[in-house]
Amino acid sequence: MRVVVAEDSALLRDGLVHLLTRRGHRVLAAVPDADALLAAVAADPPEIAVVDIRLPPTRTHEGLMAAMTLRREHPEVAVLLLSQYVETRYARHLLSGPCEGVGYLLKDRVADVSDFIDALSRVAAGGTVLDPEVVSQLMGASRRAGPLETLTTREREVLELMAQGRSNGAIAAGLVLSQASVEKHISAIFGKLGLPPSGTDHRRVLAVLRYLESQE
Amino acid sequence: MRDRDRGVVTRRAVLRAWFGPPALGAVLYGAISLPLGVLDLGCVCLVLPVTAVPAVRSRLRPPGSACPGAPLTDGLSALATGHRWLAARLLGAWVTAPPAPARPLTIRPARPPDTRPPGPLAWARLARAADPAAPWRTVLYLLLKLPLAVVMFWVWAPCWAWAAVLISFPAWWRALPPWLDSDLWRQPHRGPLRLGALPLDVWPNCLLVTAAGVLLLLAAPWVNRVVLVDGLLVRALLGRSEKDRLRESRALAVDGSTAALRRIERDLHDGAQAQLVALAMKLGMAREELTAGARDEALTLIEAAHGDAKQALVELRDLARGIHPAALDDGLALALETLAARSAIPVELRVDLPERPAPAIETIAYFGAAELLANAAKHSGARRVTLTVRPVGPNRLCLAAADDGTGGARTDGGGLAGLIDRVRTVEGRVFVDSPAGGPTVVRVELPVRP
Repeated sequence: MRVVVAEDSALLRDGLVHLLTRRGHRVLAAVPDADALLAAVAADPPEIAVVDIRLPPTRTHEGLMAAMTLRREHPEVAVLLLSQYVETRYARHLLSGPCEGVGYLLKDRVADVSDFIDALSRVAAGGTVLDPEVVSQLMGASRRAGPLETLTTREREVLELMAQGRSNGAIAAGLVLSQASVEKHISAIFGKLGLPPSGTDHRRVLAVLRYLESQE
Repeated sequence: MRDRDRGVVTRRAVLRAWFGPPALGAVLYGAISLPLGVLDLGCVCLVLPVTAVPAVRSRLRPPGSACPGAPLTDGLSALATGHRWLAARLLGAWVTAPPAPARPLTIRPARPPDTRPPGPLAWARLARAADPAAPWRTVLYLLLKLPLAVVMFWVWAPCWAWAAVLISFPAWWRALPPWLDSDLWRQPHRGPLRLGALPLDVWPNCLLVTAAGVLLLLAAPWVNRVVLVDGLLVRALLGRSEKDRLRESRALAVDGSTAALRRIERDLHDGAQAQLVALAMKLGMAREELTAGARDEALTLIEAAHGDAKQALVELRDLARGIHPAALDDGLALALETLAARSAIPVELRVDLPERPAPAIETIAYFGAAELLANAAKHSGARRVTLTVRPVGPNRLCLAAADDGTGGARTDGGGLAGLIDRVRTVEGRVFVDSPAGGPTVVRVELPVRP
């Protein structure tokens, strides 16, 4: 896979490049700020860009803005955003545009190398990936709402994994269930929450997220 | 640098007070005080009652405003600003304006604007709702200005007048008719003018009178300094009150602590957190290499991770010291010794504190000393610094840093301004004496117990 990395901390930037190279991916450019990122992507478009949300000069959300620009101008480039903290509004902002090939992860996930590479592949393939921390915050916030309480524990687990962008197979593997029972749970969830059944994984994520936010 | 109302005084301002513009300023101020006093009294006696008339007031009020009489307080504060400006320019008394009156806080839901004409009690309500004292202190000053100007006039005007009269004596004494004599000297006419046994209406002797006139002329600017009393009144009535000062120092303290917390968050995020993420990443990769059997790559990664962990420890230790140095728990003297030992240039330290100050004061003194030493090392090119802490008077201590560098320290930005703000939160003062090229001496006075 061809990757561009945008991260202002030199230590982390080198670490990411090292990690990606060891796994056989090709790092086209490793840049320290948003302008350099846009220039690098324009010069030689990668398959996916790994972007820190906090970039110079103000270190607030330049990375997020650059990611939105990238989604507009280079829709074929997937974007995986990394953040030190969970900010649900950043996730919301990111998913407000077209969300095939979009991901939002905590930097802590980088420590689990295989999971990180897996998430990277999923996003590059056009899926949507959300950090479990973001999802659990959203679900925790909407626990006060009524309809979510009608879900069984199993169904809530399936919902969480679905919101993270996992496919049915991955959910089945993660919860040690058969794929058929996962599909049954999913249709039950959609029924109880009143959501229309949706086809692709990332549309599912969107639907679930929108539902969860509306319950906040 | 001017002697501003900031608690920062320089040696040059003191020198300049004895010569030059202040004398001329005092003369000018005295000259315009009288007409100004009449104008002020006119404002208070005529304009204020007029604006109390409901019809006028409802027409003056901007449409939709909830605060009756707002143009009135604006007018008062404009007058106050004018007087403060005059006192600053002519008397050198720089007085900071009190903070603008805050809008009355409405906790209840806002009512529709009050369209009834305000009654007589609206005055009292206005005074209570806004900063209670400011408009009334201004009115008091305006009322007092005329009597004070009259009193001062009778002190300085005769001085100038008599100086003019005496100096020009040789020119006109001959024109004095005999009976005017006795009126002037309040004695029965005794013939030609005389000073005791010395006749004054003789050519060389009348120069004595001229000499007396010249002496009086030389003394006149000093007598004119009596208008500085007006400057004191401006400071007392048109400047910030004790409550304003306390409010401001509280705001400084809160802002300072917020800024400090933000700095800590940024240092943690960019430093220790980044290091720990890199560390975790390397260990994760090392584990994979080991399970795949690549020992050497795993070893390289583990060594790099070890380095990251040690670096993170250093950053965390520095951060902790920046928040609260552990040495301060054992006293300011010990903490300053550690600081002096770590300084880039040799520091001669003399600490003489009979009792331990309050912990907050020790912290401010420690970080102040750290700032001063850092400035001396970074900017002044000094070769040695002397740091002393000693008591001055009851309940006050003085931290002084003197270096032999190039001077030119600036108090308007950077670390020194931060130090001044921190010191002001406990009602301390900072004195900076840093002429360009010369040695720098900074003295910080702090209360022992805030």
